[in-house]
Amino acid sequence: MREKRSVESERRVLDPKLPLDIGTVAQRQRIVDAMVEACAEKTFAGVTVADIVSGASISRTTFYKHFPDKQTCFDAALDFCVAQLRAVAIEAQAPGDALAEAICKATAAILELLAAYPSLAQFALGEVAVLNPTVLERYRDLAISALESRWLEAGEPRRGTSDPHLAFGRAQVLVFDQLARGRGKQLPELLPEIVYIALLPFAGHDEALQQARSTSQSKPSDGSSGAGVR
Amino acid sequence: VPVSDKPNDLRQWQLPRGRHGLSREVVARSQRERLLAAVVRVTAEKGYEKMAVVDVLDCAAVGRQTFYELFDDRLDCLLAAHELLVDDLAETVGSALEGSGPWPERVRAALAVGLEWLAASPDAAKVMLVELATIGPLARERFQVTFDRFVAMLDEGLQEPGAPADLPNITSLAAAAALIRVYEETANDRATELRSLLPELTFELLVPFVGEDIARETAHGGAD
Repeated sequence: MREKRSVESERRVLDPKLPLDIGTVAQRQRIVDAMVEACAEKTFAGVTVADIVSGASISRTTFYKHFPDKQTCFDAALDFCVAQLRAVAIEAQAPGDALAEAICKATAAILELLAAYPSLAQFALGEVAVLNPTVLERYRDLAISALESRWLEAGEPRRGTSDPHLAFGRAQVLVFDQLARGRGKQLPELLPEIVYIALLPFAGHDEALQQARSTSQSKPSDGSSGAGVR
Repeated sequence: VPVSDKPNDLRQWQLPRGRHGLSREVVARSQRERLLAAVVRVTAEKGYEKMAVVDVLDCAAVGRQTFYELFDDRLDCLLAAHELLVDDLAETVGSALEGSGPWPERVRAALAVGLEWLAASPDAAKVMLVELATIGPLARERFQVTFDRFVAMLDEGLQEPGAPADLPNITSLAAAAALIRVYEETANDRATELRSLLPELTFELLVPFVGEDIARETAHGGAD
C-alpha cells in the first residue's frame, strides 16, 4: 500500500534533480500545489489568484514572481501532475514483465495515485479537458504512442481495431464520472475496465476482456470491489 | 400564432410580433421559451464567461423584469435551457432505442438520431458539451447526471450473448467513446458534420458488448 505523502514530498522522491535554490523551488511548488487544490475545489473558472495566494501562504508579489498569470500557473500544474502519473506508471513496472502485465501494473499504480490524491485526479482529468483541449491532446498522443510503441516493441501484432486515441478519453470519462460522484477513493475499483480500455485497440476485444477479468479475480476482495462501481 | 408544447421548439423559435391576442400565460411561456433559446444562442456565440443577461434580453426581445421574474440569474436561465435540451435529446435517442429489433441495430438507429439532433442544432451541442463545463462546480453534477442517463440506456446491452455483465462499468466506457468523439467535433466547431461519425461510433459503442465482428457488421451494414 502506498504511503500517504504530500504532493510536494512525492515530487521530491520522484525528481531527484533538486536545483540549487531549494527555497525558490519549494515556493514555486507550493504555488503549483495550491493551484491543483483550488482547481479541484472550485474549477479553473472559479479560481482566482487570491485563492492560490492564500492556499500557498505566499504574497501576491511572490505569485507574480513565479508566474505571469493564472493560465501559466495552471499549465505548470498540469505538467507537474502528468509527470507524477508518468513516474508512478514507470515505477510500477519490472523489466521482465510481459506487456499485458506491465499495462495492468501501470494502470493499477495510476489509479492508486489518483485515489490517494483526489485533487490531483480532479485536476488532471477533470479541469484540463475542458480548459485546454490542445494540451490534453498533446498528453493523450504521448500516452497513446508510448503504449503503441511498447506493443510493437514486444513484437505483438496489432489485433484490435478500436481507435487507440479513444482509449485515453474513455479512461478519462470513467475516472471523471467517479470523481463527480465523490468516489475518488474507490478509483482502484476501475482497474478491470481501464485495463480493458488500454488493451482493446492493441490486443482486441476478446483478449482485453480476458486480461480485465484476470485483474478483477487476482484482486483481494474487500466486499465492495466485486459488486462494481455503478 | 401556434405555440407548441414540444420542448425542442426552443431550437427553432419564432418571435410572435405585434398584437397577437395571446393569453398572458401563453405569452409568459413563449417569453420563457424565447429566453431559453436566446441563452443557448448567446452562450454558444460568446461563451458562458462573456454571456450577459443583457445579450440574452436583446436576442429574445424580452424585458429585464420578465427575465428576473422567470430566472434568478444568467446561470439559472442557462441551466433551465440545458435541462430542456438534455430531456429532448434523451427522449429522441430513447425512443429510437425502443422496439423489438436486434439490440445492436437499435443502438445504431439511436446513435443516428442523436447525431442528427446535435448536427441540426450546433448551438445546443456547444452549450451541452463545451460551455456547460465552464460554469463552475455545478457542471460536475450536471455532467454526471446527464452522462448516467445516457449510460443507463445501454444497460440492455449487458444481456447480449457474451457481453461482460460481470464488468458493469463496461456501459460507461462504451458510452464514453461516443461522448469523447462528439465533444471533440463540437469543440472544434464541426458539430454540423457529426452525422459522418455514425459508422465509427456505432462500432466503438458496440464493441465492448458484442465484440469486434458484430460491431463492425452493424456499423457498416446499415442502409446509409
